[in-house]
Amino acid sequence: MKIPFSCLKKHVALAETPTEIANHLVRLGHEVEAVELPRAAVKGVRVGLIESKIPHPDADKLSLLTVNIGENEPLAIVCGAMNMGEGDKVPVATIGTSLPNGMKIKKGKIRGEVSCGMCCSEAELGLAEDAAGLLILPADAPVGAEVGEFLELEEAVFDLSITPNRGDCMNVRGLARDLAADAGLALADIDLAEVTVDATLAAPKVTVSAEQDCPLYMARSIAGVTVSDSPAWMQAGLIMAGMRPVNGIVDVLNFIMLDLGQPMHAFDADKLSGDISIRSALGGENFAALDGRELTLNAGDLLVFDDSSVIALAGIMGSQPSGVSDGTINIILESAFFRQARVSETRRIYAMVSEASMRFERGVDPLMVEIAMQRATAMITNLFGGSAGAITVCGEPGNINSGRQVRCSVSHLESRLGIDIPEAMDDVLARMGFGISRKGDDLQIDVPSFRHDVSIPEDISEEYARVIGFDAIPELLPPLATTAPVQKDTAIHDAVTGGFLQVVSYAFISTSEQRLFVAGDGADIELANPISDAMRVMRRSVWPGLLNTAKHNLNRQQAGVALVEQGRVYQKTEAGHEENNVIAWLMTGEAQTDEWFAAVRQADFFDLKGAVEAWLALRGLTGRFIADDAIQGLQAGQSAKILIGRVEAGRIGRVDGDIAAALDMDAPVFVAEIDLDALPEGKKAKFAPLPEFPGVERDLVFLFDKDTSSDAILNAVKSAAGKLLTDARVFDLYAGKGVPEGKISLGIRFTLQDAKRTLTQEDSDTASNAIIGAMEKRFAAGLRG
Amino acid sequence: MADIDAMIEQLDVILKAAVDAFAAAGDREALQQLRVRYLGKKGALTEVLKGVGKLSPEDRPVIGQHVNRTKAALAESLEQREIELAEKAKTARIEAEKADITLPGRKKTGGALHPVQLGLDEITAVFAQMGFVVAEGPEIEDEFHNFDALNIPPEHPARAMHDTFFLKDLQTNDEQPMLLRTHTSPVQIRAMKRFLAEGGEPPLAVVAPGRVYRCDYDVTHSPMFHQVEVFKVDRKVSMAHLKGVLKHFLSTYFEKDVAIRLRPHYFPFTEPSAEVDIGCVFCAGKGCRICKGSGWIEVLGSGMIHPNVLKSVGIDAQEFSGFAFGLGVERLVMLKQGIPDLRLFFENDVRFLRRMGASR
Repeated sequence: MKIPFSCLKKHVALAETPTEIANHLVRLGHEVEAVELPRAAVKGVRVGLIESKIPHPDADKLSLLTVNIGENEPLAIVCGAMNMGEGDKVPVATIGTSLPNGMKIKKGKIRGEVSCGMCCSEAELGLAEDAAGLLILPADAPVGAEVGEFLELEEAVFDLSITPNRGDCMNVRGLARDLAADAGLALADIDLAEVTVDATLAAPKVTVSAEQDCPLYMARSIAGVTVSDSPAWMQAGLIMAGMRPVNGIVDVLNFIMLDLGQPMHAFDADKLSGDISIRSALGGENFAALDGRELTLNAGDLLVFDDSSVIALAGIMGSQPSGVSDGTINIILESAFFRQARVSETRRIYAMVSEASMRFERGVDPLMVEIAMQRATAMITNLFGGSAGAITVCGEPGNINSGRQVRCSVSHLESRLGIDIPEAMDDVLARMGFGISRKGDDLQIDVPSFRHDVSIPEDISEEYARVIGFDAIPELLPPLATTAPVQKDTAIHDAVTGGFLQVVSYAFISTSEQRLFVAGDGADIELANPISDAMRVMRRSVWPGLLNTAKHNLNRQQAGVALVEQGRVYQKTEAGHEENNVIAWLMTGEAQTDEWFAAVRQADFFDLKGAVEAWLALRGLTGRFIADDAIQGLQAGQSAKILIGRVEAGRIGRVDGDIAAALDMDAPVFVAEIDLDALPEGKKAKFAPLPEFPGVERDLVFLFDKDTSSDAILNAVKSAAGKLLTDARVFDLYAGKGVPEGKISLGIRFTLQDAKRTLTQEDSDTASNAIIGAMEKRFAAGLRG
Repeated sequence: MADIDAMIEQLDVILKAAVDAFAAAGDREALQQLRVRYLGKKGALTEVLKGVGKLSPEDRPVIGQHVNRTKAALAESLEQREIELAEKAKTARIEAEKADITLPGRKKTGGALHPVQLGLDEITAVFAQMGFVVAEGPEIEDEFHNFDALNIPPEHPARAMHDTFFLKDLQTNDEQPMLLRTHTSPVQIRAMKRFLAEGGEPPLAVVAPGRVYRCDYDVTHSPMFHQVEVFKVDRKVSMAHLKGVLKHFLSTYFEKDVAIRLRPHYFPFTEPSAEVDIGCVFCAGKGCRICKGSGWIEVLGSGMIHPNVLKSVGIDAQEFSGFAFGLGVERLVMLKQGIPDLRLFFENDVRFLRRMGASR
């Protein structure tokens, strides 16, 4: 909300600079987004006296003026306007001036005649949207003075962000009240305009049947107005406050709303048929809103009717046909109090925000309803003529939001704020409109009708704290509790030790991305209001996000990436839904770059398998990788499920070639995912004495059939080698020249050790023979010659 | 009788020849052969000694002394030459093994934590050290925990400020719509309820990090971001305590003594409520582009927990009070690391991640 400084000064005699006032506003809780100086742009526009005016010799519509701007020589100016004459005073933009519309004034020739400046209209000065001719200044304007200073245009405008609880401050008067109370200044009385009531004019007939939502409704007729534009000063004020001038009547109502906070509405009386009634919608009524939208209304909406149609969505917007236009002669003026929750709900349903609805839903002052009506009547009749009838009043202003009291103790407030509260604070609250009585430690506080946000002791504590300033509250560390340390989740920290970069991707992906790795089984959780199709469903796998990130980086000249993400996956279940913590990896491209000591190598399945195994080992876990050709989105023959004990805790594999190709990813892509919630507790390290006697290491190389599982081979070795075996692993794998077609040469290195003695040749021969026998028997594999 | 003088002369000849031979020996092997030739069982000296028997008894000790002296001189000369050769060999080996130590080392390419993770870890650690217990909550929430229990009734204007993502075909047991939590504040409700259900009684101090979602996507807004919710409930918790904890936290996090400023604000779940500014960390409060010349930067929202929130979980708001605040992790990390654009966090460009992440 934008508030011109001059408007504030009409309510309270503020002596400080705009910057100082802005600081006070901030301290009082009104965020100042900016202090604008919109009129700085008219610097260089001076009051000029037209000394002579003759027609341009070569152009019918131009005049040649000599204009005195208080310098030695008058200026010669070529002017296209028609409404000025000798002796008039007009604004003159001198050479070098920049106008609000961006025009820069230069010396020039117009149709052969020299022009040393420009005479300005209201529009050119940014005071009005458009203008028919020059702005003629009053006769007492001092020649040569800055027009901005003379018209008091050069002023600050506060751009404020008013919090939703402070509906009372969505107007100049409310902010002035806060500032006055803070500075100890008097708040000026509201100008209670005298209105002469025309007794011959019938008061509108109004029935309110929804008293709960509309506890107060006032209406009055004003007959015989001549609608024209509002005066320049009012248009300028509205523009500065960020509102567009519409027509004289609407401008007056908006101006008063900005000033006093009471939204009002004017109907064209000749467009209404019959009496006015305020009642709840039954549902299905049609409404042609002023903003051009056609709505079908819901039961419960609060409406203003005439005999034939809905003429307003109460507190939000009037209807198009019943609105005031330039040709309007008779009007009915509405000023009312509509219940906040009602306005809020209705405007949310139709996504229809107006200056009026913003104020009604935050709560207006019931005591301002009539005052604003009187001010508006006086202004309208003064500016546009016409006579006003008596006010029809439905409801009792004094019954609304009245009689509210907060009782609390000073010590309670002090304990919540952590400061001492001096008695002098009572005066400040009184200036803010609160009624205060003290009995010892006890406070009894009457809340004014315009403060909808104050109802409990904590609200009072905030009022005190606002005024003394939060800076006055000391910084105190509370007594620190000692709590048992909680085991930190180190899943991601462990994962990045293996050279992986942690990424964070959005939890929502597109439906087609979801389908890459998860079948469409109806368990997707879909957003009702997604930002885009790319962010439509809650992910059930982290892989699509990792794939996108990998692609993003490969497109940026990265030769290879190793990524890891920890996050949640989400899906519907029979019981409702679940969100599970997972960790997921992706590797593609170069696992080893070309170096002076090593050759380039592309990542393969075993790079990622090793990373997952190392990660599991850090948690005291060992995984079993069971080949599984049926994992969606992974390539058969290079994919596996990961079992921890008996629990299937994850999956690993190469991304299906078609999926990678669709993303233009050439190198094989490997992914893995582990369900963190499914992981059992890992083994804790247990002490075992170090061996005293040396072990024996032996190598055996066999020829196996090509498809033999190394896991099965090692298991057979382990069961055949006897109790002395401490380790067995594959140390060599070869196929090709020297190995028969369909066979692989596989080297097994095993270690024997005894805690009580040094082993003999006989020991290792026994184990070797047992292993050779087992390989022969189990796999028909013989030693490689 | 042999001539003692001839023998002595012979010894001198041997010594001289040996010393010359030692000096000529090019390596340890050649030297070893010379050792055998002169000092071995069948060596030159032994040969001389064989003639001792032919000497007269009175000459024998004399020649014996000469032999011993020569032997000692030979041994010393040999040893010295051995040392010379060893040094020469070592020098040659060092020369041969010389490396271009300016070549890059064989690095294990380290991974890195995401800068947001780093921020979460740092922030959580400060509060954990102050005795706050870490808690988490669901990201898929219901309206009760995200709004109602936090004193934001359905028609409340603040509800509209939250730009909530709602979820299709997902409802609570009492048919309330489900949504993605718009803040970590619902963890307040869940943590307090759980704590009370387990028979606890305040004090209760909790830090709750997590992802939150808002239906807002532009240069300065991400539909998903991270927050940390911090609250404490106890007897006589005051706004001064809130300020104390904020000051300690912000100074620890930014690794300098930062000035803090509280401005009255409005949040439905706190009363009083305050926006918290810190003295601009870029210009030390002098005014710059980042703080728009004000010298202050808004970092988080805070306040004293609204009695209605305490009541909604069954805590006596007369006896107990509490403070709470919620901070945006990305915002704090951007300020601390000088990262200019929120979108960088979710683009996950590995060059950014390597530079800004905590390397491991």
